[in-house]
Amino acid sequence: MSQHDRTHHAKIATGKGDPQCFKGTAGPAKFKVGQAVRIKDLPDVFYTRCQVYTRGAVGEVAVVTHESPAPEDEAWGHVDHSEWFYIVRFKQKDLWPEYPAAFANDTLQTEFSERWLEAV
Amino acid sequence: MSNDHDHSHGHGHHHNPPGPMVEEVSDFEALEIAVRELAIEKGLFTAEDHRRFTEFAEHIGPTPAARMVAKAWLDPEYKKQCLTDAIKASLAVGVDWLNPTGFGTPSDYTDLRVLEDTPTLHHVVVCTLCSCYPRPILGFQPEWYRTPNYRRRLVRWPRPVLAEFGLQLPPEVEIRVEDSNQKCRFIVMPVRPAGTEGWTEDQLTEIVTRDCLIGVALPRPGMTTNIPLPVHKPANPGHH
Repeated sequence: MSQHDRTHHAKIATGKGDPQCFKGTAGPAKFKVGQAVRIKDLPDVFYTRCQVYTRGAVGEVAVVTHESPAPEDEAWGHVDHSEWFYIVRFKQKDLWPEYPAAFANDTLQTEFSERWLEAV
Repeated sequence: MSNDHDHSHGHGHHHNPPGPMVEEVSDFEALEIAVRELAIEKGLFTAEDHRRFTEFAEHIGPTPAARMVAKAWLDPEYKKQCLTDAIKASLAVGVDWLNPTGFGTPSDYTDLRVLEDTPTLHHVVVCTLCSCYPRPILGFQPEWYRTPNYRRRLVRWPRPVLAEFGLQLPPEVEIRVEDSNQKCRFIVMPVRPAGTEGWTEDQLTEIVTRDCLIGVALPRPGMTTNIPLPVHKPANPGHH
C-alpha cells in the first residue's frame, strides 16, 4: 500500500491537463462522426460510468472527444491503457418508449469509451 | 436521525421533541475532517491555507462563462474558438483551466465543450451520475443540480422539468439533453435574444445568468442576477 504513488495524477496532468495528458496513447479511433453505434450491455462489476438507460440503444456518434483510460480501469488506478471517447446522440424516443410522439425531434447526448460501442 | 424520545410515557400522548441541536455528521464529512487534519499534521498545508482555498473556491461564479457567451455573440472569430477549443477561449475571460486556483493544481478535468443553441435547438446540461459541472468557469453547482430529483428526471422528462423552471419551448424546438458523465464539461451558449441590438459586452454579460448557462432558462433583456427584487408589503404587519 505505501508503495502506491499518490501524486501520480498530478505528475502526469500538471501543465497539460487531463485528458490531454493521454493524447496519442489510444491508437486510431474505431468510430467516426455520423456513424451509427449500439451501446453494449457489458457487465459492470464495481464501477462504470455507462448509464443503464443507454444499454442496447442505437445512436449516432456526434463528437469524437479525446483519449483517456476508461473509468472502469482508472477508478482502480490502472492508467496504462487508453481508449477513444465518443459523445453519442440518441433520439429520446429510442431511449424511453413512452416519450411523447409530439416531441419526436428531442435528443439526448452522453459519452462512452470505445469498449461500450459496436457498429450497427 | 434516530431519537429515543418517541416512546410513550404512559400518559396518553407522544412528545414531539425538538430536533437535535447539531446535525449528524455524515461518514463522508468525518472522512474529510480526518484526511484534512492528517494533511495539516503532516505539514502538506496549513489550516489557514485550507480556509483560503475554500474561500477562493466558493467565490468562483458564472461571470467568466457569461462573458464568454457575450464575447462570442459579438465576435464570430471568438465564437469559432469557443466551439472548437473552449479551454483556450477561457483564457480570454480570465480562466486558466490548467491553473484555475493559483494554488498550483490543474482542474480535475480540462475538456470544456460549448453547446451552441439555435432557434430550433435548445441544450440543457445534467450529470446523472453525480454533479459534474465546469467549476473553474461557473463556480459551484446550484443545490438542485446535485439532487437525484433533477438528475433522474431531466434525462427522461426534459420538457416537464424545464416547465417547472418556467421554460416552455414549442415542439419545433429540439431539446437536446447533455448528460455530462465523463471528462467533458459543458456550458450552453444560448441564442442572443431580440432587443439587445447595439448592446455592449458588459450589458450582454449581465443577462447571461447561471441558469442560462446550464440551459434551464433563456436570457432576455431586463432579466439579470442583480435586478432589484420585488418587495411585497406584508398583508398583516405586526406592531412595533
